[in-house]
Amino acid sequence: MIQFERFELKNGLKVIFHKDLTTPMAVVNTLYDVGARDESEAQTGFAHLFEHLMFGGSINIPAFDSPLQNAGGESNAFTSNDITNYYNVLPAQNIETALWLESDRMLSLAFSEKSLEVQRSVVVEEFKQNYLNQPYGDVWLELRPLAYEVHPYKWATIGKEIKHIEDAKLDDVKAFFKKYYNPANAILCIAGNFELDYIKTIVDRWFGEIPKQKKPARILPVEPKQTTFRIKRLERDVPADCFYYAFKMAERKSAEYYIADVLSDELAKEKSSKLYLRLKKELQLVTELNTYILGSIDEGLFVITGKVSPDKTLEELDEVIWQVLEDYKSAPISDDELKRLKLKIRTSREFQEQGLLNKAMNLCFFELLGDANGVNEEAQIYQTIESAHLFELAQTILVKENCSLLQIKRLQK
Amino acid sequence: MIDRKLNPPIVDVDEIRFLTPKIDSIQDETPFYSLLNNGSNAVKLDLYFSAGTIINSPILSAVTAGLLFSGSDTKTSSEIHNEIDDLGGFFDVNVSHQFAVLSLYSLNDQLLQLLHVAMDALQNVSFPDHEVTEFINDRKQKLKVSFEKVNYLGQRELQKRLFAGTTYGKTPELDDFDGVNGDDIRTFYKENYQKGLTKVCLVGNLSESDTMAILALLGTWQKKETYAIAPMHFNPEKGKFHVEKAGALQTGIRIGKMMFDKHHPDYHGFNVMNTIFGDYFGSRLMKNIREDKGYTYGIGSMLAEIYQNGYFAVMTQVGKEFVEPTLDEIKKEMAIMRDELVSDEELSMVRNYLMGQSLKAADGPFAMMDLFIQVETANLDYAFYNRAIHVLKTITPEEIKALAQKYLVWDDMVVITAGTAT
Repeated sequence: MIQFERFELKNGLKVIFHKDLTTPMAVVNTLYDVGARDESEAQTGFAHLFEHLMFGGSINIPAFDSPLQNAGGESNAFTSNDITNYYNVLPAQNIETALWLESDRMLSLAFSEKSLEVQRSVVVEEFKQNYLNQPYGDVWLELRPLAYEVHPYKWATIGKEIKHIEDAKLDDVKAFFKKYYNPANAILCIAGNFELDYIKTIVDRWFGEIPKQKKPARILPVEPKQTTFRIKRLERDVPADCFYYAFKMAERKSAEYYIADVLSDELAKEKSSKLYLRLKKELQLVTELNTYILGSIDEGLFVITGKVSPDKTLEELDEVIWQVLEDYKSAPISDDELKRLKLKIRTSREFQEQGLLNKAMNLCFFELLGDANGVNEEAQIYQTIESAHLFELAQTILVKENCSLLQIKRLQK
Repeated sequence: MIDRKLNPPIVDVDEIRFLTPKIDSIQDETPFYSLLNNGSNAVKLDLYFSAGTIINSPILSAVTAGLLFSGSDTKTSSEIHNEIDDLGGFFDVNVSHQFAVLSLYSLNDQLLQLLHVAMDALQNVSFPDHEVTEFINDRKQKLKVSFEKVNYLGQRELQKRLFAGTTYGKTPELDDFDGVNGDDIRTFYKENYQKGLTKVCLVGNLSESDTMAILALLGTWQKKETYAIAPMHFNPEKGKFHVEKAGALQTGIRIGKMMFDKHHPDYHGFNVMNTIFGDYFGSRLMKNIREDKGYTYGIGSMLAEIYQNGYFAVMTQVGKEFVEPTLDEIKKEMAIMRDELVSDEELSMVRNYLMGQSLKAADGPFAMMDLFIQVETANLDYAFYNRAIHVLKTITPEEIKALAQKYLVWDDMVVITAGTAT
């Protein structure tokens, strides 16, 4: 159970405070309700590039990191298809320094040409490092446009292509800031050993004077229901054949999301799970196997992925995997199996709640979904899932016409 | 109106509380360290075996560690995993130079049973042939993937050159796996696991009776037979080496030299100097090579520890067109460290930063146990951290410059590039 208080400033900034008596550290986490899904298709990768620019100095402060380091702190950020999240971890007594820095870059950035030029280059290297210059790195650049036809999830956070990043202009940066970086579009969470009144005072001191602005409206194209099986095969210079079966699944706020999450655990995440036992232990078709869900806010993906054993083929694997899924769907799982899935979820959650930063990020994310307390309710939702729920969902989503298959075939040298 | 140009006052971190774990012993011999994580239901138990990569061969050590739950005469690996999952438990095995550490994770009231399952699986492990074959095939495929990564190739070459002629210099080749068989694994297990339980750490909220039961259960493990790891002497092959990786868009760079372990008088000072040079986001290397030139997504330097020794390394991955300029800039930054005094402002920032990081490193029982084990493994105690804080607070720009002159010497470095030579 994560306790918290919530208040809102006049300019629309939502603030969550989590009191933790045990730590000498503080976390200041800021979530902006903007991600790669808000980009235009002609200018992808922009939300993420912008995240880099947020460290290049703000209107009153030449550099973000130096004052924070001087206060004993550290900072970083990440961008996803849905959100951009910034966090600072520092000794509690210096929390105002983080608020000063975070509020100044919400007020306005410095917008320097030099910073843009350098960060374009840094992000191009990041693109190469993570997506182009390693085996299987481009999988999501290929799988997204296969699985999504119109929804902006069809491009990756890093962007569709390097050129989009190279072409970014300072005017675009300014327009992006103006539209998305304002109090009404942000959620701030502060965690640490403080009193609520003190937090109210200092948050208002630093964020209160940032002008109010309208929260930008979001109207995204709705992905039409998938009705036919899609397949794309790539040939790459990789050591092993690799596959991604991506099934459409419900959006983050739906009850189905939680069922799909448990279903993915059940199917192949553990070494005692059905698909793992059959494909790996019995048939030795794969050397690696995993299932997971993307966790995206809009309609998501349920992914079964792995690498084919050297003496087996993608075709053999494909034939068997559909058969195994059919077998799997023929009967609900036993109560014992369900019981242990739930127990494992409880264990994982207990470890996740160990971290102050984790707690702060989760509170912000659930507030974005509608209610920060969702983070606590979630534990309960998992425990109410029944075997019949898993059985029914498997029938609905684990079917061929709901699947996009990406195969990466090893180039024969 | 507040003045937004002014930094709110900074309050120094003046005290860090290091909590000593409760120390019990298993069979009056093997230490059992425990810390309470009050209020939490999460528990972690670490079993340290003297079965690391330098004991025999890195591959044998890694394969054995990966097969600890591969099955016994009475249970298959799947049955063992089933039992672990039934308890809602997780485990992982990490292999370092010195140790293989089996960690068990669960809720408080499941740990005793989980340990029963683990002990039964360990005490009766038979390393079935088909499991060995399967695991080795999986590992070979993973290694093939690693061979495609310039960062891996660079790190591997650095280790080969720095540790030439020692066990550390043995980096895995695909063929090496073919030489491993079930008998080797069983012998290695017998020598280094059954006779090798060195210490156990517990972080959790266990009742006194559960803790006693765990101690008793661990007491059924065979007594440790101590042996010495022969001291190693290093003769690095200095100079510049290239590993060709056709078609690579980026080049992995490694620059390193042998250094020392926690007992060396320069250890703490070197850490401060190295932080300024390359070990945090605001470091000289990051500021210049990423934040000014944009050659890379990230660059850093570190003092890495190996058994009774250590090495220094600069690590980065850069666009292939930026290799030479990057090497030049690193060389330049080393020269600046040697030739110029660090400003009071920069030193003060690094002091504050490192104090904040130390405070964070000591935050919470899991972190505290890690800190404790780091010094315990080196036969040191918390005085080590207090000494580090003292050096951090008192070191002068002159001393930092002297350390750079002593250690940041380009001609002493092993320089590795892994990528496409242009």
